[in-house]
Amino acid sequence: MTLFDLAKKNVARNLSRYALYVGTTIFSIIIYFTFATLKHSDEISGMAETSGQIRSLMSASTFILLVFVALFIAYSNAFFLKGRKREVGLYSLLGVRKKQIGTLLLFENLVIGAVSLLVGIGLGLLGSNALLQLLLRLMNSDLSIGFTVATSALIETTLVFVAIFLFTSFQGYRVIYRFKLIELFHADKKGEDVPEASPFMALLGVFVLGAAYWLALQDLATSPLWGYLTAAMPLLIIGLTIVGSGLLFHSVLIFILGRLKANERWSWRRLNLLTTSQLLYRIRGNAKTLTLISIISATAITAGGAIFSVYYYAEQQVTSYAPYTFAWQGEARDIDADVLHQTTVLEKTVRVAGEMGEREYGVIDESTFRAVATDLGWDTPPALTQNQVYLIDPFYDERFSENVTEVELDGVTHEVASRYDETPLNVMTFGGLLLVTPDDVFTALSEPATTYQAVSVADYKEQTALSESLSIEANFSSATALYSEAMAVHGALLFVGSFLGLVFLVATGSIIYFKTMTEAEEDRAKYAVLRKVGISKRDVKRTIRQQIAVVFLAPFSLGIVHASVALVAFSRLLGMNFTVPVLVWMALYSAIYALYYVLTVRRFTKQIL
Amino acid sequence: MNPLLQVDAIQKTYTTGGHAFNALDGVSFTIDHGEFVGIMGPSGAGKSTLLNVLATIDTPTDGDIFVDGENIAKLEEEALSDFRRDHLGFIFQDYNLLDSLTVRENILLPLAVTKTPIDETRSRVEALAHRFGITAILDQYPYQISGGQKQRTAVCRALISNPKLIFADEPTGALDSKSATDLLQTLAGLNEAETTIMMVTHDAYAASFCRRVLYIQDGRLSKELIRGTTSRDAFYQTILDELKGGASDDAV
Repeated sequence: MTLFDLAKKNVARNLSRYALYVGTTIFSIIIYFTFATLKHSDEISGMAETSGQIRSLMSASTFILLVFVALFIAYSNAFFLKGRKREVGLYSLLGVRKKQIGTLLLFENLVIGAVSLLVGIGLGLLGSNALLQLLLRLMNSDLSIGFTVATSALIETTLVFVAIFLFTSFQGYRVIYRFKLIELFHADKKGEDVPEASPFMALLGVFVLGAAYWLALQDLATSPLWGYLTAAMPLLIIGLTIVGSGLLFHSVLIFILGRLKANERWSWRRLNLLTTSQLLYRIRGNAKTLTLISIISATAITAGGAIFSVYYYAEQQVTSYAPYTFAWQGEARDIDADVLHQTTVLEKTVRVAGEMGEREYGVIDESTFRAVATDLGWDTPPALTQNQVYLIDPFYDERFSENVTEVELDGVTHEVASRYDETPLNVMTFGGLLLVTPDDVFTALSEPATTYQAVSVADYKEQTALSESLSIEANFSSATALYSEAMAVHGALLFVGSFLGLVFLVATGSIIYFKTMTEAEEDRAKYAVLRKVGISKRDVKRTIRQQIAVVFLAPFSLGIVHASVALVAFSRLLGMNFTVPVLVWMALYSAIYALYYVLTVRRFTKQIL
Repeated sequence: MNPLLQVDAIQKTYTTGGHAFNALDGVSFTIDHGEFVGIMGPSGAGKSTLLNVLATIDTPTDGDIFVDGENIAKLEEEALSDFRRDHLGFIFQDYNLLDSLTVRENILLPLAVTKTPIDETRSRVEALAHRFGITAILDQYPYQISGGQKQRTAVCRALISNPKLIFADEPTGALDSKSATDLLQTLAGLNEAETTIMMVTHDAYAASFCRRVLYIQDGRLSKELIRGTTSRDAFYQTILDELKGGASDDAV
């Protein structure tokens, strides 16, 4: 029998194990190829000229994906090899030379690589075209494109994965040379000592995480810490979070499990004893993986949550900057559309001294303000009395902004009757800061008045052509243009974000799945003992469910907590309320993650019973 | 009084590739309360299959097994587990202790699933550990103790639920001769204290501790040796003689 026949037989016999590994690599290739296609796509880069940031966003994301995919494949390859060390040992024992075994594994891995690459790129072609359509949809673009094959993406993907496969093959080759025969046989048998947690380390873990959270929740504007540490602050927060998570799994979890086990009233009931012992027994080997998973989950949930929130509020953002569909300086024009409101606004510009220096205000009179407020469906503002004004400041932020209570106009002091944080007129045309004065005060102002037009049109998102034809006007602002720009950027962001989020999710799920299934193989004998001493299938299934639940839930809940803190910090920074979109995103994420849990429990149970 | 165990014409047939093979071919015998019975036979004779079927780990193709009048060959899966847990005790060649549990925890595991009150569990474990001289190692892990101690732990675990019947499968197979003798004396002592034991072994020395030895060959009971009032040494000689006879049969 030649070595080649041996390799063939091998693959045929261990098909399910191979299927898992090949599945992982194919998945990685599909993801990478799809992403590379989008990056190289002419349509996207064409759009990138208008929306600016998409191209660099794509490049950065591809790089993250590259690192990630390489790690992921290396990880699953290591698992794959670990499970086969005994087989390799057997060859060695039968007198096959290390060199031959190495060649066998190398050859095998290259065949797997070649097959995965072919299948992955084939499926990736279909996937990338489908996703391209989806992306264009999300970006609210009416471009339509046919089936495309991106040669540059093809080359890039092939190069990247050939490099990865060469690396993992080399890795396998090294395993054969580095280990002694006896170790090869015991590779998956090495029992880990039952760990003991020091209360000090557990406390330290809680303290470090607490510190990281406290830092993260410091206000960027007012906290002196940000002043001292500036750019080092995010790094410090991330570093502390990682260290804290590591300690949490290494010590706090062990501490809690140890306590639970010591409580006989609880642990001597059903298989609780076994559940905690099994978890304790394995936790040290798992601590790194669990930390990794909690960090990946936190990243995915935070990024996804933030991006989804921004997308969710994009429209609101547009209408808050441009309440009227169009506004420009000059005379009224005929609008070829379903016009809802059309107003002519006279604005004067004044400069007023304040605590933080001179500020420039646009001034409109009270009647105009009432008219636009009615157009926008606002509550009618109460009438101003003598020496009173309204202040409109859409950028007001109590942390940075001066709280103006009175302004001096033509030597007369006017009290600010109330402040509006929302502007009724397009910021890009009228400026953000506005004063509303009684009509007679406005007329009396010596500054020259400028005439503006503000128009609201039905279906403002669809008025691209109209917007373009009006864009020649001076000081033109358009909600239509603003919206399509926002959609292009946010849509691309959302796409990239959810894409990466999904990849991370699949990766975390798969890592736990691999890990658990490897353990299942080692644990089979243990569960057989349980069955022999008369413990029912029901009880065994129960302890399996519980054990796997802890392994799934612990890093995930920590990830959720990390992400929540990060998102609270972000939402404060941006002054937006993220609650609804973030909850939706988290629910979606958890649902897919839960599917992984169910799948793992099923496979595990099948494996050992 | 009914026998404790009544095996009635059990049959176990394995079919591989259309080829039927009878691992057990109509085996019948009874074991009374307080007996210590050895099952002997050459490799492949069906000893392990018989034990697995009696231990409810495997199910017979045909035939009935009554334990205290209850037909366990007809029980459902969940009921079997409960039956096994409550009425049967097991001692295996490779101990089958769980590495992640201490000696104490290994022993109490079968009680944990029956919702026995903690104080009762604790006192039962202590009493058994004292009886078998492993009190000092109760809080150690299996990888920290010797083979003999492991097997005594396994004996304690087998006894913790006060089983009606103890099955021992080559319990001395992995022990040195000193530990093996200790264990066999322990089992014999247990038997004198009215515990019923059925032990599968291929070792004549181990079998000589039994009160009665059943010899199984090609899936059938071929001989029965009864120790009666003879000494253990004399019984050992009897078994050896029988084995020689059997061996010469095999050679033909």
